[in-house]
Amino acid sequence: METMNRKQKWASFGRSLLSSLVPVIAAFIIGGIIISLLGENPFTTYWILISKSLFTVKGFAYTLHKAAPLILTGLAIAVTFKANIFNMGVEGQLLIGGFFAGIAGASLTGTSPVVTKVICMAVGMGCGVLFALIPAVLKAYFRVNEMVVTLMLNYAMIKILEFLATGVFRDNGSGYVTTPTIQAGAMFRRLGGSKLTPFFFISLIVFLIMYFVMNRSVLGYEIRAIGLNPVFAEAASMKVRNKIIEIMVISGALSGLAGAGQMMSDQFKYTLTFSGTPGLGWDGMLVSLLGKHDPVGILIAAIFYSALKTGSDKINFYTNVPKEIIAVIQSLIILFLAVQFFDEKTNLFDSLKKKITGRDETTVKEEL
Amino acid sequence: MSIIRTENLTKKFGDFVANDHINISVEENEIKCIVGENGAGKTTLMNMLYGLLRPTGGKIFIREKEVKINSPLDAISLGLGMVHQHFKLVPSLTVYENIFLGTEIEKKTAKGIRLPFLDEKKEIEEVQKLIDRYKFELNPLDKIEDISVGERQRVEILKMLYRNVDILILDEPTAVLTPQEADDLIASLKELRKQGKTIIEITHKLREVMELSDSVTVMKLGKVIGNVKTSETNEQELAQMMVGRDVVLSVANKHKTGGSQKEIYCVNNLCTINEYGKEVLHNISFSLKTGEILGIAGVEGNGQTELVNVLTGVMESTSGTVIANGNDITNKWPDELRKNGIAIIPEDRFAQGLCRGMDLAQNCIAGYHRRPDVCSKGLLKREVMEEKRDRMIRDFDIRVADPNGLIDQLSGGNAQKVIVAREFESKPQILIACQPTRGVDVGSIEFIHTQLLKFRDAGNAVLLISSELSEIMSLSDRVLVMYKGAIIGEIDPQHTTPEEVGLLMAGIEIKPVSAEQKVKQD
Amino acid sequence: MDLLQSILYDMVYHSTPIILCVIGGVFAYKANVLNIALEGMMLCGAFIVMLVDFLTGNLALAVGASILSVLLLGLIFSFFGITCKGNVIVVGLGINMLVSAIAGFVLKVMNSSNILINSLKVSDFKINIPVIENIPILGSLLSGHPLITYLSFLGIFLMWVLMYKTKFGIYVRVVGENEDAARSLGLKVSFYRYMAILIGAFCCALAGINLSLERLGLFTNDMTAGRGFVAIAAIYCGHGDPLVSAVYAIIFGLARSLSINLSIFAGPAAGLFDVIPYVLMTIVLTVVSIYRYKNIKIRGFRINE
Repeated sequence: METMNRKQKWASFGRSLLSSLVPVIAAFIIGGIIISLLGENPFTTYWILISKSLFTVKGFAYTLHKAAPLILTGLAIAVTFKANIFNMGVEGQLLIGGFFAGIAGASLTGTSPVVTKVICMAVGMGCGVLFALIPAVLKAYFRVNEMVVTLMLNYAMIKILEFLATGVFRDNGSGYVTTPTIQAGAMFRRLGGSKLTPFFFISLIVFLIMYFVMNRSVLGYEIRAIGLNPVFAEAASMKVRNKIIEIMVISGALSGLAGAGQMMSDQFKYTLTFSGTPGLGWDGMLVSLLGKHDPVGILIAAIFYSALKTGSDKINFYTNVPKEIIAVIQSLIILFLAVQFFDEKTNLFDSLKKKITGRDETTVKEEL
Repeated sequence: MSIIRTENLTKKFGDFVANDHINISVEENEIKCIVGENGAGKTTLMNMLYGLLRPTGGKIFIREKEVKINSPLDAISLGLGMVHQHFKLVPSLTVYENIFLGTEIEKKTAKGIRLPFLDEKKEIEEVQKLIDRYKFELNPLDKIEDISVGERQRVEILKMLYRNVDILILDEPTAVLTPQEADDLIASLKELRKQGKTIIEITHKLREVMELSDSVTVMKLGKVIGNVKTSETNEQELAQMMVGRDVVLSVANKHKTGGSQKEIYCVNNLCTINEYGKEVLHNISFSLKTGEILGIAGVEGNGQTELVNVLTGVMESTSGTVIANGNDITNKWPDELRKNGIAIIPEDRFAQGLCRGMDLAQNCIAGYHRRPDVCSKGLLKREVMEEKRDRMIRDFDIRVADPNGLIDQLSGGNAQKVIVAREFESKPQILIACQPTRGVDVGSIEFIHTQLLKFRDAGNAVLLISSELSEIMSLSDRVLVMYKGAIIGEIDPQHTTPEEVGLLMAGIEIKPVSAEQKVKQD
Repeated sequence: MDLLQSILYDMVYHSTPIILCVIGGVFAYKANVLNIALEGMMLCGAFIVMLVDFLTGNLALAVGASILSVLLLGLIFSFFGITCKGNVIVVGLGINMLVSAIAGFVLKVMNSSNILINSLKVSDFKINIPVIENIPILGSLLSGHPLITYLSFLGIFLMWVLMYKTKFGIYVRVVGENEDAARSLGLKVSFYRYMAILIGAFCCALAGINLSLERLGLFTNDMTAGRGFVAIAAIYCGHGDPLVSAVYAIIFGLARSLSINLSIFAGPAAGLFDVIPYVLMTIVLTVVSIYRYKNIKIRGFRINE
């Protein structure tokens, strides 16, 4: 009995792993085809990609540095998706968090570096929370579909921040759209000549906290209940309405923190390319999907994905392959991840087989 | 010649037999009613006739020719139409658009070339002709979302009539109608019979059965219990057939009389509405005393589900109060109710009581997961959870292959025991138990009943809602019967026969028989 | 006066791509498939038309290739989202990212940041209607726009007819509103969803062509700048009705026009006009939700109804 259970657990773990790996491998294969069409060797290209980002000290440190905000945004997505709430606004929450953390960082003088950083991170988290409250309240009290609202509000926020950065909070000395650079006290210092900063360790600590929250805490239990069976959750004394707001607030805080960290350890000022392409929030979505919305999976996926990004800078030095190929591979991964090929519940291969062989049982409703 | 006949028609879902060798026969141009309680298998049978489900065994004959019905389109082409309980209408489209769905008329030019545009004028004309012919009162141009439920039902019927069906199957048609609309429907159905149609109606409203039908088939637990001509039977007999039980309970119940009984739970004039705005609970009032089991009997669909939903905090009432232990708990949410000493065994165990995808230990604390013994500083104490689970498995004899596995693996009876164990764990004073032994094996039924009696004997109160009459009669100290959202009567289970209760359940009030008359009869 | 004319002209200019995405996208909305890949589809249309014209000099071929490529994108979306039952939001995101990534990649391989075709004069595309162009205000509103712009306004009515006056339109709506009813009547649900997406793809291709070829003669990566999402906002505000949603699209086009034309006066604040579509949509959705759920007494959430 015990061994059967363990076998089942391994089987289900194996399935999860496979359903994350297959999209990645498929994307890499297609990428490889494109690379060979360019006349380059895909294997050497991929080897450079991996080795320069993971197997050199400097490269690995840079990878970890880039992974920090991804861990946070990945967690921000996971905490809501596990409850079947689709917070698509992580990008916008990250941007507002980073922006105001930057303003705080540029304006605070005379406070000690530690206090400055703490205040900036708090400001970032607070802004993320406030922005996330809008769709949260709308969903909790008015049952408004949060998916579309959060998606749209991202673009509204980008425009608003652009306005603020060219207006009130403009850096007058510079020729392009930017806010003033933050004070030295707000900047995370570089560790040992690499780009790695203490912020990475802060995000690791947050990861540990979220690991406990999602796996051991009452809140994690409630999140899972709401995601699996909201009717049950309500009957089991969980005021789902309030939980929705709680969960969105946590998500907003994580996104805001990611933005603040990005500001204080990487960008140091708010520009129109603050979040990169396609945006740290969207990267976080990919990371969370790859990691199956589980903290440990997210950690691994964040480092892997970050390795892709940092490695992509290098492949252009050593080959003629443009680094944009990585963006192509990234989008293919997302596309393939959308489909659960190996999910136990929707056995896709079986249903596709059925469609091809023509048999289609119309069991519209199995009512009694 | 029968117009439609089944021979040993059987439907199995895995091991569960929903329809067991059904033999029914419907004569042409008659109205037949199929009656039975929920779970009797009536809808499954009709779904097979309409091609929504494929039979596991047996044959169907239409006009004595064997047929295979693989989809609703097959059924319609054979002259069989069905009007479901949940309408298949498109809200933003009009009456005529819904009727024509799938068979639209397209415009033609003078030379007869088909254009891709709809000929709305023609469609409206055709629908109006149908409306006039069957004497329905509908406006073809109304949008479905704007018309009443009764009118929507008539659109569904017209949909079928337009496709020239000879046999019309209706699934609980009056369940969603007001009394006036129900009368209108009965009149329409009689008109249809006059015009040569055959009608099969699934219902549990015996008064309508007597008023409308020519013959009746009674089903119970997937089998046909009886086929009778309406003129040769009456409501009493039908009620008896529907609710009579074979299973005799083996639990001895020593009813307490007198003793210190104080009122602990009081419901006053509780009302609520459904999503159509129709009132589904009318002024429900009763009180519950310590040391008693109050049973609420009634055929399903008479407001019990709504009553339980309101009393367990998952539905709001529109008026009325609920008082427990002196505290006003009207419209409080489930967490508040539990804090007031109320425990709940919900109607649908896997929808409301347990969470598929979570393991046993996690389900064992659901509803009580924020209490200090389980949760400290926001973290769940896994060891406490597991200890509770193991204790519950022992004390309640829960059969489970892998205690660390998911709750999904448990059978109905054992899953129910988990819920019972969990609710008793918190030492409540009031237990609301809804259909506590539905779909549960005999051994577990006995166990759960014993637990309920033990709970009552310890001085607590139980509100028992069940459509299993024998369960209610043998466990309860008092029984209230619900009919059409109101309490129609109270009986003493020890001095009332099942037939009398069956009548109450069918909406027929028992005339009190005076003592002299009883002597005369004997 | 000049300002007013400029605002009106720009309103038509900027609404066109949005209108096209809207009148195509309403079908997917009505069929209950959320298509957020309008942005990517439009970008693809804009990219391919310029790429093929650059490589072959054949305008007709370029337009044809552009439409075909976006239709292919639509098929990919439908396959992953409908047949494979993938999460349509993620599929849409993936497609948006993919188009941007491929365009960026090809531009890099071509070693340039734009596709600029020197032989192409944008003014050649403008159609100046003889008498009307001289009328003071109406002239700038109605005349001087390229072909696709006129087609798009015509398209509003065409799509309205398609949706409400043909069998196809009714079936698409049935599939979206009550899938059960559709199945019980033998309608092939997947087919109508595929078609709805493909109509959207076709219109997005035209939008892209208008954006890059007709108006600017230039392609830069991500030049769609969120127009696809403004279109989604317009569709939601109009509840998928081609006419009403198109009106919203024009309003949003006006907002864009104001934001550009008033920047001289209001400075960066004019950029806030661009926020209007999103805020408006949030308000509309909230009001609709309040109205829809006012009679429900049952508590609790079926989280994603």
